[in-house]
Amino acid sequence: MLNRIKICLTASAGGHSSQLLKLADSWVGRETFFVTTTEVVRERLSVFGKVYVVGECNREHPLRVIRVLVRCIKVVFGERPDVIISTGAAAGCMVCFLGKLLGAKVIWIDSITNVEKMSLSGRMVRHIADLFLVQWPELVERYKNVEYVGAVI
Amino acid sequence: MIFLTVGTQFPFDRLIKTVDDFVGSNGLDEEICAQIGDSTYQPQNFKAVASLDKNLFDKYLRESSCIISHAGMGTITMALENGKPLLVMPRRKIYGEVVNDHQVAIAKKYEQLGHVLVAYETVDLPDKIKQLKSFVPHKREAQPKAVAKRIKGFIDKIADV
Repeated sequence: MLNRIKICLTASAGGHSSQLLKLADSWVGRETFFVTTTEVVRERLSVFGKVYVVGECNREHPLRVIRVLVRCIKVVFGERPDVIISTGAAAGCMVCFLGKLLGAKVIWIDSITNVEKMSLSGRMVRHIADLFLVQWPELVERYKNVEYVGAVI
Repeated sequence: MIFLTVGTQFPFDRLIKTVDDFVGSNGLDEEICAQIGDSTYQPQNFKAVASLDKNLFDKYLRESSCIISHAGMGTITMALENGKPLLVMPRRKIYGEVVNDHQVAIAKKYEQLGHVLVAYETVDLPDKIKQLKSFVPHKREAQPKAVAKRIKGFIDKIADV
């Protein structure tokens, strides 16, 4: 019998969530919920428990960032997860910081598209992550406290 | 059939127009089917739709002899998993096609590994289209199981405390 811990899976729709879904073996049998960015993927993700859609945003649209942040606050403070697993991007980053405030453990897998340098989200989350995985061995030499096990896709 | 796709989110007129011009002046012994998203340029030499539903997208992907696309991870992964020769043109920040140049970095890396052909600029495209037919992509070996195992071990430790 597995101890009851609640895991928050969070990734933007598209490439980020397809990378996270490749890791489904890591949380099998545990309670999970999903935070993502668009309605289109809601149905596909519903096998992982409740799905929250917080909207798309990037740093070029500050107002949207605030709207997404408010939704993330509601979700994270409502659900109070014990562990957060994210592949990015902006929304995933916010959920990680909010979860950390509540004492959650943060696991970040930086996207395969970050070849030469990590994403802005990744560089921020690196400082608070409990486990930080990259998908290119070169990045281990460039950044401290990151680990390379392999590529997800 | 050559499948041309640029995703459904942002326009990528530069790629569609260059392919259209190439077909217009050189001709092509295969038809092109295109998913052009929000692109405003309307090609003259092949048929194009804004977006395809998932089933139709998969069908075009399966039935194509090769693929031309932006360097989006979704398309690259699907092409590789289906063993299709793929030519990518990375979206560029300077042309307002994307917010940063991560597509250039991933295209470069996957080109080095023999997974894709790359046209970095429009002038590179005609030659690369000619090479595409005989291009045999190097199969990608990823390690999702090893990564999942590492994460599972970490979670199990937290849960046992």
